[in-house]
Amino acid sequence: MPTDVAEPLLVERFPIRGGDYEHGGEAATRIKAIMRQLGVDPEIMRRLSIANFEAEMNLVMYADEGCMEFQVHADAVRVVVADRGPGIPDIELAMQEGWSTATPEMRARGFGAGLGLPNMKRSSDEFEISSTVGAGTTVRYAVYLA
Amino acid sequence: MTPTAKGHFIEPANCIACMACTRACPTRAIRVRDGHARIRYELCIDCGACVRACQYGAARAATTPPSHLDRFEYTVAVPSMTLYAQFGRDVVPSRILHALTQVGFDSAYDISWTCEMLAGATDAYVNEGRGPWPKISVTCPAVVRLVQVRYPGLIPNLLPIETPREVAGRLLRRRLSAELGLAPGAIGIFFITPCTAIMDSILSPVGLQQSYFDGALSIAEIYGPLLRALEVAPPADTLVDEISPRGLLWAMAGGETAGMRNSNTMTVKGPDVQYVFDRLEAGTFQSVDFIEAYICPDGCISGGLTVERRCAAQRNVQHIAKGLGASPAVGEERIRRLLREDFFATEEEFKARPVQPLGRDLREAVARQKELEALLPQLPGKNCAACGAPDCATLAEDVVRGEASLADCVFLKIERLEGDLRAQEGRVS
Repeated sequence: MPTDVAEPLLVERFPIRGGDYEHGGEAATRIKAIMRQLGVDPEIMRRLSIANFEAEMNLVMYADEGCMEFQVHADAVRVVVADRGPGIPDIELAMQEGWSTATPEMRARGFGAGLGLPNMKRSSDEFEISSTVGAGTTVRYAVYLA
Repeated sequence: MTPTAKGHFIEPANCIACMACTRACPTRAIRVRDGHARIRYELCIDCGACVRACQYGAARAATTPPSHLDRFEYTVAVPSMTLYAQFGRDVVPSRILHALTQVGFDSAYDISWTCEMLAGATDAYVNEGRGPWPKISVTCPAVVRLVQVRYPGLIPNLLPIETPREVAGRLLRRRLSAELGLAPGAIGIFFITPCTAIMDSILSPVGLQQSYFDGALSIAEIYGPLLRALEVAPPADTLVDEISPRGLLWAMAGGETAGMRNSNTMTVKGPDVQYVFDRLEAGTFQSVDFIEAYICPDGCISGGLTVERRCAAQRNVQHIAKGLGASPAVGEERIRRLLREDFFATEEEFKARPVQPLGRDLREAVARQKELEALLPQLPGKNCAACGAPDCATLAEDVVRGEASLADCVFLKIERLEGDLRAQEGRVS
């Protein structure tokens, strides 16, 4: 993934609190509303929303706090989700289908099927994850507009 | 594309610009301009929330006037299951059907069996049909419009199976035309509707080229005449009740899925619909196969054109259904065969009707989005609606679209006047 991506046309930031299940999903919903206003194609909207929702709920479930940054570029919609939290010790393992550390409480709410990260990767055109144990995790992904 | 004929409208002469409808509208489709409310039909989902909220007779249902019946040689009433729940728990459906023949219709036709058949067809489709899942019921026309306008990503999730009322309308017209020796156009088929949304679906159908109904009369309007007709005892032979209890349950939320074998269903109603659709578009609820959704808070019995309170209506439905006993199942094999023959299939594809973007292209839309965000902090955030838009964010959006001005905000107006006043006082002293 190129790191020197051109200056975005639009940047929107949404702070997210860990453990805030009550508002979990609102950032993803807000981003979808913005994409609708911008006239983004429904299929692209759908793909980014899937990744956004997963990312947001991962943050709510595992991290202390973080931020979802939505960027509109001429050729893609990009999202950077950075959190302060426990980090992921083995990313390769976490990227495997079905792998989950969800608690029974999370599962009771319909999460933790182990679809999260692989699902995000599947629905985006670019996907990158980096994590430092004890510090936090950053996920970047993009869906191309054309 | 804005439909020309609508099942509800605003009568400007009656509107006092109180903003009740503007606030009640779930898609923020109403603005007050030039002293009265105006519906932006491109955003409207026909839910009738404005009609319900209006206390001045300005937001009104435009159901078919009864005089329209005179245009046909033969007329049939097809009541919504909800009509059966309007007259207490002891008035059985057959009496109501008979009463309909006393208030201007040549006959009345029960569609509870069609409802039961369609529940079976839905069940079969969920087992045999193509994804994406879950499928969303198309029974509530306002839900279908909501998907078209707000959730274009869910268009492929709409169940491509026609509603019981339209299937019944189609069969009825064909049968009556043959039986009576009349041209299909000489027969007037009218739905007795609990809501404006169905009236709208008859005027501008989705998934169908043209409705099989010639109009719809509101339950509220026909209630009085029916009540009087019910005082007269019907002939003894009409008292036999052949109503499907499973079909009858379609009157209330949960009824459509009540008889389904598939248990991976979910009933969603009222404000929950948008919550669930937002999450559906984000890929959750993967384990659900079928969603029964209603814009009204309790399904059709809570429709805006009903008379009986929904708690009482629900009690009536349950009591009447219990009295009908166990329903003999409509032959499952036959339903599966009809399903494979596309007997229940919608005639046309569902199409999205997405909201107009902020700009003509991405760059212009982004520029306007930025303008919009810069405007928001200037507005009071009290969402008083006095400007004519339902809330501050919508006013900001109207401003960047060039359809309103910041000067419409009464708080900003007061601030400016106070500023002028202070400046004046400063000069005087």
